[in-house]
Amino acid sequence: MKKVMIGNHAVSWGVLRSRVEVISAYPITPQTQIVEALSDMVADGSLPAQYIKVESEHSAMAACIGGSIAGTRTFTATSAQGLALMHEMLHWAAGGRLPVVMANVNRAMAPGWTIWTDQNDSLSQRDTGWIQLYCETNQEVFDTTVQAFKLAETVDLPVMLVLDAFFLSHTSEPVDVTEQEDVDRFLPQRDATFKMDTSDPHAFGALVRPDAYTEMRWQQQEAMHEARDVFRQVEDVWEAITGRRYGAVEAYRTEDADLLLVTSGTITSTARTVVDERRAGGEKVGLLKVKMFRPFPTEELRGHLGGVDRVAVLDRNISPGHGGIFAEEIRSALYDVPPEDRPNLFGYVLGLGGRDVTPTVISDIIDNCRSTARPEREDLWVGVEL
Amino acid sequence: MSERDVTKPHDTGRKIPPIAISETSTLVNPTGSWKYIMPRYEDRVAPCNAGCPVGIDIEGYMYLIGQGRLQEAADLLVRENPMPAVTGRVCHHPCEDSCNRASLDEAVAIHSVERRLGDMILAAPPPPAPERTREETVAVIGSGPAGLSCACFLARLGYGVTVFEAAAEAGGMLRLGIPEYRLPRAILDRQIERIQAAGIDLRTSTRVGTDVPWAEVDAFDAVFVAPGAHVGKDSRIDGAESVSAIRPGLEFLKEVNAGGRPDLGERVIVVGGGNTAMDCARSALRLGADVTVLYRRTPREMPAIPQEVREAKQEGVEFEFLAAPIGVAKEGGVFTGITCQRMELGEPDESGRRRPVPIEGDTFTTKADTVLTAIGEDCDLSFLPGDIGTTWGLVEVDELGESTSATVFAGGDVVDMPRSVADALGAGKRAAIGIDHFLREKAGEDVGEVPLDDLRFGGGNVSALRYSKDADPIPREAPVNQTVTWDQMNPHHFQTAPRHEDHFHDAIDLRSAFGETNFGLSQKEAIEEAERCLNCGVCNRCELCLIFCPDMAISRREDGGFEIDMRYCKGCGLCAAECPRGAVTMTREGI
Repeated sequence: MKKVMIGNHAVSWGVLRSRVEVISAYPITPQTQIVEALSDMVADGSLPAQYIKVESEHSAMAACIGGSIAGTRTFTATSAQGLALMHEMLHWAAGGRLPVVMANVNRAMAPGWTIWTDQNDSLSQRDTGWIQLYCETNQEVFDTTVQAFKLAETVDLPVMLVLDAFFLSHTSEPVDVTEQEDVDRFLPQRDATFKMDTSDPHAFGALVRPDAYTEMRWQQQEAMHEARDVFRQVEDVWEAITGRRYGAVEAYRTEDADLLLVTSGTITSTARTVVDERRAGGEKVGLLKVKMFRPFPTEELRGHLGGVDRVAVLDRNISPGHGGIFAEEIRSALYDVPPEDRPNLFGYVLGLGGRDVTPTVISDIIDNCRSTARPEREDLWVGVEL
Repeated sequence: MSERDVTKPHDTGRKIPPIAISETSTLVNPTGSWKYIMPRYEDRVAPCNAGCPVGIDIEGYMYLIGQGRLQEAADLLVRENPMPAVTGRVCHHPCEDSCNRASLDEAVAIHSVERRLGDMILAAPPPPAPERTREETVAVIGSGPAGLSCACFLARLGYGVTVFEAAAEAGGMLRLGIPEYRLPRAILDRQIERIQAAGIDLRTSTRVGTDVPWAEVDAFDAVFVAPGAHVGKDSRIDGAESVSAIRPGLEFLKEVNAGGRPDLGERVIVVGGGNTAMDCARSALRLGADVTVLYRRTPREMPAIPQEVREAKQEGVEFEFLAAPIGVAKEGGVFTGITCQRMELGEPDESGRRRPVPIEGDTFTTKADTVLTAIGEDCDLSFLPGDIGTTWGLVEVDELGESTSATVFAGGDVVDMPRSVADALGAGKRAAIGIDHFLREKAGEDVGEVPLDDLRFGGGNVSALRYSKDADPIPREAPVNQTVTWDQMNPHHFQTAPRHEDHFHDAIDLRSAFGETNFGLSQKEAIEEAERCLNCGVCNRCELCLIFCPDMAISRREDGGFEIDMRYCKGCGLCAAECPRGAVTMTREGI
């Protein structure tokens, strides 16, 4: 069934198709439409779930954690300051190995007060132990929402799917909504590994002494590593049903390229058109889209980037005092590439607080990247006008 | 050099779970030992119950309706109020004034629900007469709401009761004073028939002191005196005595209510601001007159039921405030109207209302063909023997209606209390208890004192059910006789819902001018309205305590109530805080 819908509603439809049992959320622009649609679905009975109203995002995640411990499939959605307020609970969900799924609509952090997109909100939660998947289109948003539950429940880790504010959240595109029976085959009811049993109550998240804490973290890390393979398998099954797959990393016209753009989120679509133009002009330019940020697809990135002359990483985010976060992560991943194959990496910071990244901007970046042998600094800020 | 690679996980056989989960059941940890304060289910009294002069378990019947147990609701209502079809129509419903729901949105339309239940009761055949278990007999003087209430409760207590009524038909002011458009006679007749069916000997057209001597009623084991107040107060209009067009309003009402249709002329002035004045005005209107109510204070001080005033205005009654009649106006010796004194409000009087004070020299004359005075009524106590104490023309009684004479009790308009149908019904019930207690004591039973405070709903009127020690149909948990205030409740769990308002005639249909103007609510609406009841103070099994208990120490009992496993309750107080109705108390007792 094809429907025209905004990115936020693509999330809602994904949640509906996934037969989520507990939803708890607190409204925040630009996410609110996700849970608005879900509350309608719960109210009209099309989604037989518990919708728990709460007074903050911290409580929303706490409620999801409770629902998940009780063995149900749980979902929440948030943005920016809301996600930041959840921070403590994000650790609880991940450390508790609870397959909670959350949609985060990328919105820049305040102050200055803003509702427009950049990735600093989700990337600030890098080390909480959540799988992070960034989306480019509304179709990918729908698909990733359903996949997220499968992935989360297979490895017992929470998954955050991420979409850009307004460029996706409020923009309508046609979405092929997979039929319920197909989703049901792909995603049966959750069978919880650990589940609260009120007749045999145990304490969850209790004290762990130094002699066991490391072993728990080890197992969590092993699950993260496993998630890379599991995601591939999840995509295999989904592709068999729907014909669609995205990859943790997608290579676009990378064959024989001497310069690769690396993007995530909606900038990717703009970059595709620029790559097409440049290729039409005979230029060997390609594109690498990074969908999975955690676990980090280190091997795949090395495979694609090793031996390329120049790499331009486009970061709609900034780690103050360091650089663009994708650029720093990729730079670190490339350290183990033999020096002769190691590309020159240019880290561009752009599009913060929702500033538009146009084809011209990306075209200028390609020219800039070719203009010098080495970048002048680790963070190259694009379009700063003081 | 270590033999093994420290960066490789080494299997030592330890079973470390992937998450922090306790190895043993948490049941081994009696968290209840931490508490210094503990919850207790304690039901309290809803303010409507406490505010009801009749002493009806309003909250109780609302609870039963909420459970779909309509018949039991009706049974509980009539257990405390022998004439709900009447009070549902004419009571000034102070219950609604005290309803906690008003703090959320609007008070529950209790009177509408009561009326619906009352009509439901009337539609069924009367229950069999209660068994006569007592040898004693009681005489009741007057068959108004006080007399009939006392007679009904006495019959239920097993006594033989004879009611003496001066008028040709029973009902007292309900029949003589209240117009048909407020209380259809068919309803009143059926209500009285039901009460009579309790085995009461009703002797109409029998005025004590005239038709039968006092000695005859005094021969009964006890007497309840409730003849009402039927003597109109002096109009204080100079020269009124000689003008037949100036007449007591109550006399006019009695005539109309008996079927008379007197010619009042075109313009009628009604003097007074109480319910009798409203009844006179609206009755006169129905006889085709233009009617103006003259009241010496302002709308704020009017003692009439606000709804009656509203309806009077809607029907076209005019109001002239801050004016009092002082004299008769005549032209050529013919009565043409009255002269009036303009008033202003001065200091508050003993009733708390501001006293009207004449504005010197400010008078006016208004035309009238008839003037009906409705400024209050006095009692005719001339038939009472001298040893029964009276003050200001009223019989002195104690809380249970006992007069200065041991065998004589009194209630209704002849004692010092608000003159309302509900107060009269309540007084009749109290006196029935007083008489029962007196007669049992006299018969040598060890009855002790009447535990009046325990019988009352909060500070309100007494409960006949409590007095009889019958089982409470509401599963009240450790009830405490305290009224629940809004601030003791948790409003966050309530949703607003508009009050169902009674359906009214749009305008007077003159051909059926004395037909009922208020149609009440449909059965469905009344049930929905009852479901608006918040069940203040009474656990209605909403389960929020169980849901919120973080220790899962609360569970359902087989009877539907809850129990708390004190081994694990750590006294956090969430159950008490979340309880929407104030039915959970935190206490240090028992720790």
